[in-house]
Amino acid sequence: MTGVRTVAGVALRNAHVTRLVALTLLLVVVFSALAPRVFPTALNFQSIAYSVPEIGLLALAMALTMITGGIDLSVVATANLAALTTAGLYIAAGGETATSPLLLVAFCAAALLVGMACGAVNGLLVSRVRVSPILATLATMQIFNGIAILWTDGEAQYGFPDTFLWLGDATIAYVPVAFLIFIGAALLIWHIVSRTGLGTRIVLVGANPVAARYSGVDERGVLMRTYLISGLLAGIAGIVIAAKSTSASPDYGGSYVLLAIVIAVLGGTDPFGGRGSVAGVVLAAIALQVLASGFNIMRLSPFLYQIAQGLILLVVMVVELRRGRLLERLRGLLTGRPG
Amino acid sequence: MRLSRLRGENNEGLLAGLIILLVLMMGVVEPGFLGPATLTNVVRSLLVDLTFALGMLVVIISGGIDVSFTAIAIFSGYGVIVLMNDLGADGTVWPFALAALAGAVLGGLNAAMVAGLRLPTLIVTLGTQGIVRGALIAFVGSQYLSNLPTGLESLARSDLFAVTTGGGTARMTLLALPVAVLCVLVALLLRSTMLGRSIYAIGGDVESARRVGIRVGRVQTFVYLFAGALAGFGGLMHVTLSRQANPYDLVGSELDVIAAVVIGGASIFGGRGSVLGTVLGVTLIAVINNSLVLLGVPSAWQRLAVGLLVLLGVGLQALGQGRRKSPPILAEVRS
Repeated sequence: MTGVRTVAGVALRNAHVTRLVALTLLLVVVFSALAPRVFPTALNFQSIAYSVPEIGLLALAMALTMITGGIDLSVVATANLAALTTAGLYIAAGGETATSPLLLVAFCAAALLVGMACGAVNGLLVSRVRVSPILATLATMQIFNGIAILWTDGEAQYGFPDTFLWLGDATIAYVPVAFLIFIGAALLIWHIVSRTGLGTRIVLVGANPVAARYSGVDERGVLMRTYLISGLLAGIAGIVIAAKSTSASPDYGGSYVLLAIVIAVLGGTDPFGGRGSVAGVVLAAIALQVLASGFNIMRLSPFLYQIAQGLILLVVMVVELRRGRLLERLRGLLTGRPG
Repeated sequence: MRLSRLRGENNEGLLAGLIILLVLMMGVVEPGFLGPATLTNVVRSLLVDLTFALGMLVVIISGGIDVSFTAIAIFSGYGVIVLMNDLGADGTVWPFALAALAGAVLGGLNAAMVAGLRLPTLIVTLGTQGIVRGALIAFVGSQYLSNLPTGLESLARSDLFAVTTGGGTARMTLLALPVAVLCVLVALLLRSTMLGRSIYAIGGDVESARRVGIRVGRVQTFVYLFAGALAGFGGLMHVTLSRQANPYDLVGSELDVIAAVVIGGASIFGGRGSVLGTVLGVTLIAVINNSLVLLGVPSAWQRLAVGLLVLLGVGLQALGQGRRKSPPILAEVRS
């Protein structure tokens, strides 16, 4: 009895998360009805679990910067640069024969360091030079991508050993390792945002930077750390991408920036800053991957999925942020008064 | 005093100096560079970006940003060609009018979201970019069309003037004329109309603008319709100048245009920017790209160069403003 009451209480307190769970279940039911022999199978759910981590990690990075009222458009370029770092190191160490677990740890650490270095550049630009996050990360996206293309002549890099590819294709109790990495990263970010002083300051800086400054919050330090963590998450995404696609390429994930923003906003992140939910982002990533898988199984064009992403972004923004204003406008139209 | 006037309100003088320096340096390295052919090539290569940049300038002055214009442009440009082929129609002027109209309609999507519902412009335009581009390729067409209607084909080959030198003939494309007219019109709009001043006002401070009686929603609606129309016009111009209609073109090159406008002195926070600065910004990027191609440098360097230029431009702006902008109470504490 108390169990039921606790669940109900949690559901009420997290109305947004509940809605996302309902949405995901609805999508699963609809696609299962449309394609009963292909969609609701263990194989398909496992393939969804394989595809969620890379975009989920990028969306977490995006959401974190959006909570501070900023944005990180360079996440995909950072992830690719991190993936190329691992690829480059493995190729230098002998390619597929470099199976030592020590190298695995060292090269993954190198990818994370490159991710954090990219994040540090963004953090410096946003917090010290005070360039607006949109422009700073738009420019660094171009720069990181340019570096990646110059480094590789624009070609995909192969030569990962099985020890590394294990991260991309192995499962533990039917759950892909990459998905476990994603959940681990999400728990870490959840802990930072909801259980540490840094998290409180991140939300405060996003909610009201002036109030934060007057309360003695070190805005620069908070922003710097935010972009560092965002870079770190992009670095993890890079490792997952390289392990799953068995290659690293400077152009991987061209449409991921839009998708990461869609997931962050759908997950309940306020693009004006000050509000966000890690659980929401994880659920939104799963919901959108279910949608993508459904579109794929129904043999719909990937460009229809692109339309759906755009529509979801706009509809969710209107519903989440401007429900009142929309109703007011409609009422104004009906009664003939200007809104 | 005189030096600072030469520098210009938005660093226009600095930019002009930089362009001249770059051209002279290229002239030393590659003597063939200093000829009429370079001028006509650079102009030809910057016309489309300049048209987009004028729309972007108006959006940025109003305090917004637009990343959907490339999708709107190629939708309008490609869509008009498909329509002309289907109808078997031909023409030169009306297709451009139609493309601008289509662009304005698509810009209306942004206008409704930004002006009507006050959603953040970057995210709205990211959404419309996805919708418009997806709709183009899923519903309008995904085929590469290599034959344009004869009217547009002959327009692409028409010259405003041609100069013949020892090295060959330098041709100035006729399409430079409408773009020049557009520059003058946008400059007049921004400098000497009530609407233009209102755009600066809402970019400077929305709340103050609203309190002095500016209809913020209407001004924003105009801004996004206008940017859409310019994008549509520029899209058909891109198709005409490249003599092929490829639905996969343009999208992904937003930064080049945003960069040009920001390098041209427009503030991303709104309220500041000029047509002259934008023209110079677009020219600088075109000259850099042209020089790098001439020197045989891989195109990834252009990407890097543009990214670094943006950081340099906004970094200088931000450092210049940062000193002035601390809130009064904190300024007292600090001094």
